[in-house]
This record gives sequence, C-alpha cells and structure tokens, in this order.
Amino acid sequence: MARLNDDAQWIILMGFLISFSFFFLALVINQSTIVGQTTAESVIEFPKNDIRDVRGVIISSVNVTNPDIVRSDITVISLNRKNAVVNFTPPQIKDNHTVINIHYNNGVTEFNENWTSL
Amino acid sequence: MLNTDGQLYTIEGFAAALIMIATAYLVVNATSVYTAGDTHISDMQLEALGIDALKVMDTNESHLSKSPLRDIIEGTPPGAQNATFGANFWYLINNRTQSGADHIQYTASYSYRNTTDNSVSSAFINASRNLSGGEHAVRATKWVVVNKQLPGDSAAHDRAVLVEVLMWRD
Repeated sequence: MARLNDDAQWIILMGFLISFSFFFLALVINQSTIVGQTTAESVIEFPKNDIRDVRGVIISSVNVTNPDIVRSDITVISLNRKNAVVNFTPPQIKDNHTVINIHYNNGVTEFNENWTSL
Repeated sequence: MLNTDGQLYTIEGFAAALIMIATAYLVVNATSVYTAGDTHISDMQLEALGIDALKVMDTNESHLSKSPLRDIIEGTPPGAQNATFGANFWYLINNRTQSGADHIQYTASYSYRNTTDNSVSSAFINASRNLSGGEHAVRATKWVVVNKQLPGDSAAHDRAVLVEVLMWRD
C-alpha cells in the first residue's frame, strides 16, 4: 500500500490559517453597520435640536408684544406636536438681568436651565 | 521519535471544524441582517439636513428685516399655499456640487394654536409631491415667531408657530 504523501502539508496549513484570519476580519467589518445603526438611533433619539429650538423661541418670547399668548403657544404646541412637556417662568428682572427658568421633558430626555440674559 | 503521519488528518479535522463553525455563524446571523436601508443612518442624515435648511431659512439678514421663513408664514393664510417656500426649501435640500439635483421630496405645514379653544391646527404651506402613505418620511421642525392673524384672533399680533416638514427620498 502506498504511503500517504504529505509533502505539501505546511502550504495547506498556512492557507487555512490565512483564510481563517480573513474570516475574522470580515466579521469585524460586518459589525460596522450595527455600530452605525446604534449611533444613528441615539442621535435621532436625543432631542438636541428640539431643545435648542424651543430654548431659542422661549428666549425670543421676551421681546414679543403679547408674551402671555406666545408662552401658551409654545407650551400647547410642544405638547401637541412634539410630545414634550415644556414649562417656563415669565421673564423676571433680577439685578438688571432677565431670568427665565426653562424646563423640558419629552419622556426620555429632561432639560432644565436657569437662563440669564447678558 | 516524533511521528508526523497524522498531520493531514488533523488538518482535515480543523478544516471541517472551521466550515461547521462558519456555517453555524452564518445561519444564526441570517435572522438579523442589517442593510443600509434598514438602518436609521439615512434617516438621521435626512433629518439633520431638514433642520439645517429650516434654520437657514429662519435667519434674517439684519435685525431690521424678517427671516424668509417668517415672511412666508405671514404671507400664507390657513388654506392657501406658498410657492416661495417650495423654491427656497427645495433648493436648500436638493442642491449638490455636481450637476443634477438630489431626489428629496417634502411636504410642509405649520401648526398654530387656536386661542378660543386651545386646540392645535395645521396649515399647509407647500409640497413638492403629495403624500401617498408609502413613503418612509422623517420630520424636521422649527419654531418661528410671526406677527400674524390666526384663526381665533381679532387682529394680527405676535404668535409662536411650529413649522413641520416631512421629508423623504424617492
């Protein structure tokens, strides 16, 4: 009986090692979509632009002609259209600065600020 | 003395093991394949683009002039529509450095509070295409303070309204 020929064993072994490492590199690349997914989800979920926007309109409501109506506009529309509870005090003058306490809560993110004019 | 007779069989065994592990991995993973269309990456980019475009439109050139967005809302009574918004907004979201525009569609409205019963209504502004219900749309919003007579008001005065834009690609 002819003996098993094992001349090329090391070449075959190296071939397997290299292809195995390629397989694991492919797994790492495969994770990139999931990383992008979770990052995008947290960017969407965190209401950075909503908070900046509502904060901006609250501060600009200091200079309107009928502040009470504008203040209810902000509170009512925030709850209706943005699912966010927004509450803030009328502007108060303290030491020649205008002060507003701003509260924002959309059920996930809460934001509180004690705004003081410069 | 070291005997190397079994090496090929060992390698064959390893190869078989690797193939089995790889198969099992692919089978288990096949239940949760993420493609670019499934992820929220494009949603996030579209939403950021819309918010930026609305911010640009709500920026006034000087403190003496009104922002384009404010002008548009003050000139659009509930029930009417405004083509100026369409031209500005469409240009901001679809303009590209290369020739040929992007394919982002939108429909825009603004929400206001009725002072008599505290209800919130929406007034249409403009749309590049009608919603059919099958779009995968994202929403971008912007608060705008306008001087306008809204339903329930006896005269024009300062009001806060929320501009809402639904955007999608087709």
